Order: sequence, then C-alpha cells, then structure tokens
Amino acid sequence: MTSGASRRSEKRVPEAAAPRRGARVQRTGLDSRVRAWSRHHRAMARDSAFRLARRPLGSLLTMVAIAIALILPCALWLVMDSAKVLDTELDESATLTVYLSASLGERQAMDIAETLRAQPGVAGARLVTAAEGMAEFQQALGLEDALSELEENPLPASIIVSPRDVSPQAVNGLGEQLDEVEGVDEVRLDLAWLERLNRLAELGQRLTLALGVLFGLGVLLIVGNTIRLAVESRRQEIEVVTLIGATHAFVRRPFLYSGAWYGLGGGMLAWAILSLGRQWLAAPVQALAQSYGATFVMPSLGLEGSAILLVSSTLLGWLGSWMAVSRHLKDIRPR
Amino acid sequence: MIAFEHVGKRYGGRFEALADINFSVQRGEMVFLTGHSGAGKSSLLRLIMRLERPSRGRILVAGYDIDRLHYSQVPFYRRQIGVVFQDHQLLSDRDVFSNVALPLEIQGVEPHEAARRVRAALDKVGLLHREKALPIELSGGEQQRIGIARAVVNKPALLLADEPTGNLDPQLSADIMRLFEDFNRIGTTVMIASHDLALIARLRHRVLRLREGRLIADEHAAREVV
Ligand SMILES: Nc1ncnc2c1ncn2[C@@H]1O[C@H](COP(=O)(O)OP(=O)(O)O)[C@@H](O)[C@H]1O
Ligand SMILES: [Mg+2]
Repeated sequence: MTSGASRRSEKRVPEAAAPRRGARVQRTGLDSRVRAWSRHHRAMARDSAFRLARRPLGSLLTMVAIAIALILPCALWLVMDSAKVLDTELDESATLTVYLSASLGERQAMDIAETLRAQPGVAGARLVTAAEGMAEFQQALGLEDALSELEENPLPASIIVSPRDVSPQAVNGLGEQLDEVEGVDEVRLDLAWLERLNRLAELGQRLTLALGVLFGLGVLLIVGNTIRLAVESRRQEIEVVTLIGATHAFVRRPFLYSGAWYGLGGGMLAWAILSLGRQWLAAPVQALAQSYGATFVMPSLGLEGSAILLVSSTLLGWLGSWMAVSRHLKDIRPR
Repeated sequence: MIAFEHVGKRYGGRFEALADINFSVQRGEMVFLTGHSGAGKSSLLRLIMRLERPSRGRILVAGYDIDRLHYSQVPFYRRQIGVVFQDHQLLSDRDVFSNVALPLEIQGVEPHEAARRVRAALDKVGLLHREKALPIELSGGEQQRIGIARAVVNKPALLLADEPTGNLDPQLSADIMRLFEDFNRIGTTVMIASHDLALIARLRHRVLRLREGRLIADEHAAREVV
C-alpha cells in the first residue's frame, strides 16, 4: 500500500518510549498530578463503597465479624475503666490511722494533729478523740451496753491521715515518717488491700491489651480474607491495568478503601452494639449497686472513646487490606 | 526503537524459549513477527513489555536497556507502549468508553481531556457510535478494534500486537491490519506477532521469522509466500 520510505517519515513521531518517569511527569506538572491523584482517591473511595453496597449481605457479614472481634476488648476496657472510678474512690479512702499514746491529753493530741498536718506528704489529718473513738466503735459494733460498763475508756485518741500520694510505696514511707513523731504510739496502714487492688488493675490492663492485640489481629485476618477474595475476583482487571502501566499504588487503592470501609462499618456496628448492651445492662447493674448502697455510673465510650474505636477499626481495615493486596499482587503477573 | 542483542530466554532455568536473538527495528517501522505456535513470538513481545526479563543478552528500547529499569519505573515505561492482545482483554464490567479510557485513567489524565482523546481513538477505529456498549454486546472484530483503540488512545510511540487477528475471518483480519498500517503511517512503530502467513505476505512489510526460539529469517520486503 505505502512505500517504506513514506512510512519512515518521522515528522509526527510521538514521544520516545522513554523509560524515565520524567518525560511525561514533567510535562503534566506537579499540580495536575496532585489533582489527578486526589481525583483517583475520591473515585476509588466512591467506587469501593458502591462495590460494598452491591453485595449488602456479604459486606454486612464481614462488618459483623469485625464488630464481634472489636466488642470483646472494648467491653473489657469499659469494665476496667469503671473499675478505675472505683479505684479512685478507694484511693481517696486510703488513709493511715495514727494512734497516739494513751497518756496524752486532748490538748496535746490537738497539737500533734497540727504537727502532722504540717508534714509534706500529708493531705489532711482529722483528730478522733478517745471519746469520739469510743462512740464510733460502739456504733459500729452495736456493743453500747457492754462497753458502757467499762469505767475507763480503753481507746487512745487517733488521727486519720490522708496521704497526698496514694501509691503503696509512698504510703509506706509516710507511715514510717509519722511513726517518728513524738507522741505517736503506732501507725496502721491497710496496704495489703491497696496492693491487691493495684495488682488486679494491672492484670486487667494487661488482659485488655492482650485481648486488644489478639482481636485486632482477628480484624486484620477477617478483612484480609475478604480482600483476598475481592482481589481474586478482579484478577483479570488487575492484570490488564498492570499491563498498561498501572503502578502498585493505583492497583491497591480501591482495595485499601474497601478495607477501610469494612473497618469503619465494623467499628460503627461495634459501637452500636456496645451502646445497646450498655442500655440493656444498665437496669440490673444499677439495682445491684443500689443493694450495696453504692452509686454506680455505667461506663460509656464517650466522645473520645468512640472516636478511638472508629479510627482504629478503620485503620485496622486499611492495614488488613494492605497486607492482603500486597501479598497477592506478587502472585498476579500478567499473562 | 528496538534492539535485541544476543537475547536468550529460558523458562524454569532449562527450557530455552528464545536463543541468541539479534535484530533491530527502526523508529516508524512496521514489522511482523511470525513462526509456528510455540516458536517464541509471545515471549519476544513479553520481553519488550518487560513482563519477562531476558536470561541473557540486552534489550534496548529507545536507547535504554530496559532490564536496568527499576521496578518502580516499569509502569511508566509500559505507558509508552500500546499493546493489543489476541483475546483483546477488555474489562467486561465497563462499557466501551471506559475500557478505552483506562490507560488515561491510570495516567491521571484530566477527565475532560480524556473524553476527547477516547472519542478520537474510537473515531479512528470507526466505533464512536458504540461507546456506551458493553464489550459482550460487540462482535469479535469490533472487540478487537476497541482493544486497538485502547492501545493507541495514549498515542504510544510503540504499538505491539500479539496475534491480533487470531480469532477473526480474513476480511476482518485485513481490516484490522489496515488499521495498524494507518497508525504506522502517522509514525508509530508497530510490531505484530502473527502466524497468518498469507495475510502477512500480502501486506509486504518486514518480517522476522522465528523457529523454535531462533530467528531464522529477517526479510525486509516479503515477496514470496511460504
Ligand atoms: N511462562 C512460561 N513458562 C514456561 N514456558 C513458557 C512460558 N511461556 C511460554 N513458554 C514456552 O515457550 C515457548 C514459546 O512460547 P510462546 O512465546 O508463547 O510462543 P508463540 O507465541 O510463538 O506461540 C513455548 O514452548 C511455550 O510452551
Ligand atoms: Mg503466542
């Protein structure tokens, strides 16, 4: 049809197949590249949401699985959080009882209370005179009759000291310090209880952390598996776009958004289930607390907790997807 | 544009699909690659697309040793090459328009500009009126023309085609080849693998003949029919 010579005319030869990324990039400019990039992000965010919506049941099941994995560590964390409320209440009631020598008079006892109040580690000191002590004792034990027959009050005056620092070591130190004060007979502190409680709190924290990590891993696996199937079902598409010059980032992007949507959906479901569970348990828990004469505020995630839950579930979904896609992109080589 | 220097390709370390291939193709040339099934035509094209890497030798494209490309540069290299497949490789869940737009989408071409170029490419292959159709609604010949439109929408310097007429009747095959000639006429370097010897002979272009992985002939003006 045409001669070789005319075919060789190079007047309108397109750009050389330049293997440097420069050529085209420079021509299009950074600004339009950023615009193209954010356009693709928006498109993929939308597209992956539509893809999820197109298979509502499957998507919902994945989200429910994620929600279940999230609920347990969250619930434990809530329980721990409410225990912390109890803890601070107990901390406030962590006091040292300083028994004064029985020989001291009321005047001297007041002076000593003054001295203790001036000590650096002491937040407050309340004097309980021998008579007051007796009255409290009688009331607590219901032994009024028996004790009133005693001619002399056998109880010493005492001072209830609240420490500034409630950590066991600090309380211990303070006790030793107060023991040195003139006129002090004995210092009692109930550290065993405090220590036990602290250990329990630490155990709870570690358990929450371990469960959080374990179930977080579960979320990664759930999302990873779902995304693996999605990658498999779009294998041809991936092969074709790779053939015509798509970068890994481009191929990965829609799947990352799917993963993030799964994570967010799962997080929102978990949040809803936790809120429902909280309401469902509120009445019996309140009644139980009341029977102990305590007021108990049901723990809630609050604004911050909710945000943390949603953000971390979204990130977990994104990460799980990233791991799955990266692993499978290696296996997919265009034919 | 393309130069092969003592290129060999082994699969799985043993089987030699290509051995000591030497040839070069000038910019703006149109070349057929022929040989029996299994002769190594596809392997050779895959080497140019850097889907495979040579076991030995060097491949230069536009003066660059493509084996030395960093993997992150490979996508950008591939964007400069248009590829047409025997089975056209259209995405079945996208209509004709967005199939052809795919390379531009990958490159982040602004949508307005992309639409203009897609229509130009569709017009070139004579299928502008089918832009809303799904690939499955098209005939084999039309599908292949869409595949070609996708390959050229980006105005690549180099157009590769692996058995582009393999599934088509002689009349359609001739049409498709004419299309390639059109693109070649405006300066695109074209390399077509095909075993349709009768068709190739009629077209009178340079022919590279492979047999069992070896280049046995390089005929600059094919006159005789084999
Ligand atoms: N990925 C591969 N792994 C192993 N062998 C392959 C692979 N691709 C091609 N071959 C072999 O290389 C030879 C050449 O194949 P190919 O390049 O497809 O030839 P053609 O396209 O000319 O039919 C064939 O024997 C084929 O079996
Ligand atoms: Mg082949």
